[in-house]
Amino acid sequence: MKEKSFFSGMVWKHFRKNKPALISLYVLLSFLFVALLAPILANDKPLYISYQGQVFFPAFSFSKTILFDNKETGKKETLVISQVDWKKLKPDHELWPLIPFYPGKSDPLHADYSPPSPVNHFLGTAKNGADVLSGLIHGTRISLSIGILSMLIASIIGIVLGCFAGYFGDHHLLVTRGSYWMMILGIFPAYFYGFYVRSSELSEILREPGIGTLFQFKLSFIIFTGIIILFYYAGKGLNRFPFFAEKKTVHADSIVSRIIEVFVSIPRLILIISIAAIAKPSFFNLVLIIGFTSWTEIARFIRAELLRTRNAGYIESSHAMGFSDLRIILKHALPNAIAPATVAIVFGIASAILVESGLSFLGIGVPQDVVTWGSLLFAGKENFEAWWLVVFPGLAIFLTVTSFNLLGDGLRDAMDVKGRG
Amino acid sequence: MRKYMLRRLLLFIPTFMVITLISFILLVNAPGDPVERMMTASQSSGDNTQSVVQQEQRAYWTHRLGLDLPVFYFSIHSLAEPDTLYRIPNKAERNTLSQFIREYGNEKEILRFYAAESALEKKVDGLACLAADDTVTVCDHFNSDRVAMRMEWSKLKSTTNPESIRLIIQNTKTFFLKYDFLGKEISVVENLENNFEDILRHPQTWKNYIPCISFHANNQYHRWLFGDGQSNGLLRGDFGISYLTKQPVEEMIRGKIGWSLFFTLVSVFFAYLLSIPLGIKAAAKKDSRFDRISSMILFMLYSLPVFWVATLLLMTFSNTDAFHIFPASGIKPVTGYPVDAGLIDKIKLSLPYLILPTICYTYSSLAFLSRTMRVSMLEILSQDFIRTARAKGLPEHSVLWKHALRNSLLPVITVFANVFPYMIGGSVILESIFTIPGMGSQIYNSIDAQDFPMIVAVFTLTGMLTMLGYLVSDVLYAWADPRISFSENTSAA
Repeated sequence: MKEKSFFSGMVWKHFRKNKPALISLYVLLSFLFVALLAPILANDKPLYISYQGQVFFPAFSFSKTILFDNKETGKKETLVISQVDWKKLKPDHELWPLIPFYPGKSDPLHADYSPPSPVNHFLGTAKNGADVLSGLIHGTRISLSIGILSMLIASIIGIVLGCFAGYFGDHHLLVTRGSYWMMILGIFPAYFYGFYVRSSELSEILREPGIGTLFQFKLSFIIFTGIIILFYYAGKGLNRFPFFAEKKTVHADSIVSRIIEVFVSIPRLILIISIAAIAKPSFFNLVLIIGFTSWTEIARFIRAELLRTRNAGYIESSHAMGFSDLRIILKHALPNAIAPATVAIVFGIASAILVESGLSFLGIGVPQDVVTWGSLLFAGKENFEAWWLVVFPGLAIFLTVTSFNLLGDGLRDAMDVKGRG
Repeated sequence: MRKYMLRRLLLFIPTFMVITLISFILLVNAPGDPVERMMTASQSSGDNTQSVVQQEQRAYWTHRLGLDLPVFYFSIHSLAEPDTLYRIPNKAERNTLSQFIREYGNEKEILRFYAAESALEKKVDGLACLAADDTVTVCDHFNSDRVAMRMEWSKLKSTTNPESIRLIIQNTKTFFLKYDFLGKEISVVENLENNFEDILRHPQTWKNYIPCISFHANNQYHRWLFGDGQSNGLLRGDFGISYLTKQPVEEMIRGKIGWSLFFTLVSVFFAYLLSIPLGIKAAAKKDSRFDRISSMILFMLYSLPVFWVATLLLMTFSNTDAFHIFPASGIKPVTGYPVDAGLIDKIKLSLPYLILPTICYTYSSLAFLSRTMRVSMLEILSQDFIRTARAKGLPEHSVLWKHALRNSLLPVITVFANVFPYMIGGSVILESIFTIPGMGSQIYNSIDAQDFPMIVAVFTLTGMLTMLGYLVSDVLYAWADPRISFSENTSAA
C-alpha cells in the first residue's frame, strides 16, 4: 500500500510540472462540474419560487407533480411541473437559474436564429428559438457520460482479455484435455440457456434500451459463464481416464491477439454507424456500441505490461508461495499494469466523445429530440449565417477532446519512469 | 520473406471471414421484412386474384433473396421449435409462430392449428357464392363479409393472445352460420377451434428448455458468400439487391468507390509529403521554439473534430456572405463537364471542388504522422551510428537526410495501416458534408432509406480495404526491415 502511494505521489509530482496537462485537468474538472449541475445551471423552471405564500423548488423536484393550494379558488390542485408556464406566473419571490431556458425548447420570441445577445440568449438561438448555451450545458452531460460510460465497458472487456492474454501468455495456461473439450462443448448449452431461451427478454434491449434491459443482458452473460464453468468442472471429472487427464496448452495470447487483430481491422466508425442504423437510436445503445468496439487499445496495453512483468521476481515468488492465479493477477500483476492502461482509457474517452458528436452530427445515434453538441452543429450546417451554432458547439467538442488528449499525454509522460532517467 | 508473406496472407482469411460474419449478422437482424420491401412497389390489397398474385410474388422474392433457406450452417434451437421454421416465407408470421411455440411448447398442435387455419382460408377462397334465391344481395353481402373475415384471419397470424384468437374463431363461426351454403362447411371452423383448444389444453413448455442442434449444408450465409444459381455471392462481388433501387448493389457501388479511394490516397500522399520534413525538422531541433510550437499546433490539429473544421471551412470559404472562393458541394460543375473536355480540362474544372475536402482529409493524419515521425527520429538520433556519422564530420544535413531518415521511416510506414481505416471512417462524415458521391455518403443515404444490403456491402468493402491497408503495411515493414520475423510482428499487433 505504501509503495502505491509513493508511485502516485511521484506521478503527480511530474504531472504537475506539465502546464498544458495541468490546465486541461482543470478544464475537464470544470466541465464535469457543469455536467453535474446542468439542470441547475440551465433550466426553464425556477430554482425557487414563492407563489401565493407557498414555496416550491421546481428545478430540484424529483416528482413530476406538486401539490398546490390555490387561494383564489380555495381548492387543492396537483400541478404537472413540466406543463406549468412558470414565466407567466406573478410570484412573490423567485430565483431563476443562470440560463432560464431548457435545451431544445423553442422560444417563439427569439425564433429564427437570433444572434448572441448579452440580454437574453447569451450564445444565440437555433431555428426554433432554442437556447444554444443551454444546449451546450446539457450536451456536456451527454458527451462526458457517453465518453466515460463507454470507456468503462471497454475497460472491463480490455482488462479481462488483456490479463488473460498477458498473464498466461502462449505457454502457461494448462488445462486437462477433458476440461478443454468439455468447455468447448459447453458453449452450445451456455448459448442456449443464456441467450436463446431468454431471447424474448433480450430483444427488449433493442426496442426499449435502459438499465432494466441492461440487467437482462448481464443476467444472460452470468448464465453463459456459469454453464461454461460448470462444464469445466465436469471435465475435471473425466480425469479418471488417462486420455482426458493429459495436459493441454491453451494459447491464450494467440487467441486474444487474433481477436484484437480482427477488431482493429474493422473500420470502427462504419461498424458503429451500421449498428446504430439497425438498433433503435438511444443513449444506452450508443454507450454499448462504442464500449464494445473500443477495448482493443486497453487490452493491448494490459497484455504488454503483464507479458513484461510475467517473469519479474515478485510474480515468481507469489507463484512459489502457491497463490492462486486469480489472486496473483488481481493483487500483484494488475495494479502495475493499470497505470499505462489509464493513458489508453483517457485517450479512449476523447475518441468516444469524437465518435458520439460525429454521429449526432450525422443525425444517427442518440434520439433526435436530445440536444447534443453534434446535433447543434448539425443545425448550424443548415444556415451559415448562424455562425454561433457552428462555432460554439465545435469549440466545446474541441476543448473537451484536446483536454482529454493533453491529459493522456501528460499522464503518459508522468508515468514513464524509464524515460525520466 | 516469402514464407512470412504467405502466412500473413493466410491470416487474412479468418479475419475476412469474421468481417463477413459480422456483416451477415447485421443483415439478418435488420428490422423489417426484406420480401415486403421488395414487394412494396406492386402492393395493393383486397381482391382475391390480387392476393394470389401477391403470394406468388412473395414466393418469388423469398426464393430470389434466398430467404427460403436456413440461416446458418448450424442452428441451436429448442426441442419445441422445429428446424423447418425458415420455410414460412412471411417474417411476421414466422415470428408469431415462434413466439407461440415459446409460450406453449407443443409445436405439433400449434402447426396443426396453423394448417387448419390455412385450410379454412383455402376453403372460403375456393367457394363461389351459391345462394339459391335473390342471389345478388346475398352474394354482395357474402363477398363483403368475406373481405372483412380475411382481415380477421390475417390477425390470427400476428397474435398469440388466446382471448383475441377465441374471439376471431367465434366471429368466423357466426360468419359461417350466416350463409346456408357455408353452414355445411362448419366442420372446418370446428376443426380450427378444436386444434386451438388442444394447444391450450396440453402445453409442453418443458420442451423449450431442451437444446437441440441441427446442421444445414445449404444455408443463407453460404449462399450469400458463395452464391448459387441465382446470385454470384459476395466472394465474386455480388452484394445482393438494393431495397431502394432494386438494382444490384455492386453496380451502385462501382461508380462510387473511385471517389472515396481518390480522396483517401491523395490525402495520404499529401500527409506523408508534409509530415516527414516537419517531423524531421522538429526532431533535429528538439525543444527549440519551432519544435514546441509545431508540436502544440499539431496536437491541436489532431484533436480538431473533422466535421467542425469542414463546416467552418465551408462557412468561411464557400459562403456568399464571406469569401466565396470554393463551391460548396459536389465534385464537378452542376452542369457537368463540357462534351469535348479532355482529362486535363476535367481536372481543371473539378479542382476547386476538391481543395476543401482534401484539406479536411489530410490535416488530422498529418498531425498524427508528424508526431510519429518526430518520435521515431528522436530515437534514431540518439543511437550510436548517428554519433559516429557526426564524429566523422559529416554535415548535419547529410546525417539527417541520409543516415537517420531511412531508419526512422519504418514506424511511419506502418502507421499507414492506422491512417487508412481512419480516413475511410472519416469519409462518411466528410463525404456527406461536401456531398461527394462516394461510399461514405452512400452509406449515409442508405441509412436514411434503411437500405440494409447497401449498408452491409459498404461495411464489408471498407473492412476489406482496411485489411488490405494492414496487409500492405505489414509487408512493407517486413520488406524494409528483414530482421522482422513473423512472431515478432504478431506480438506487436
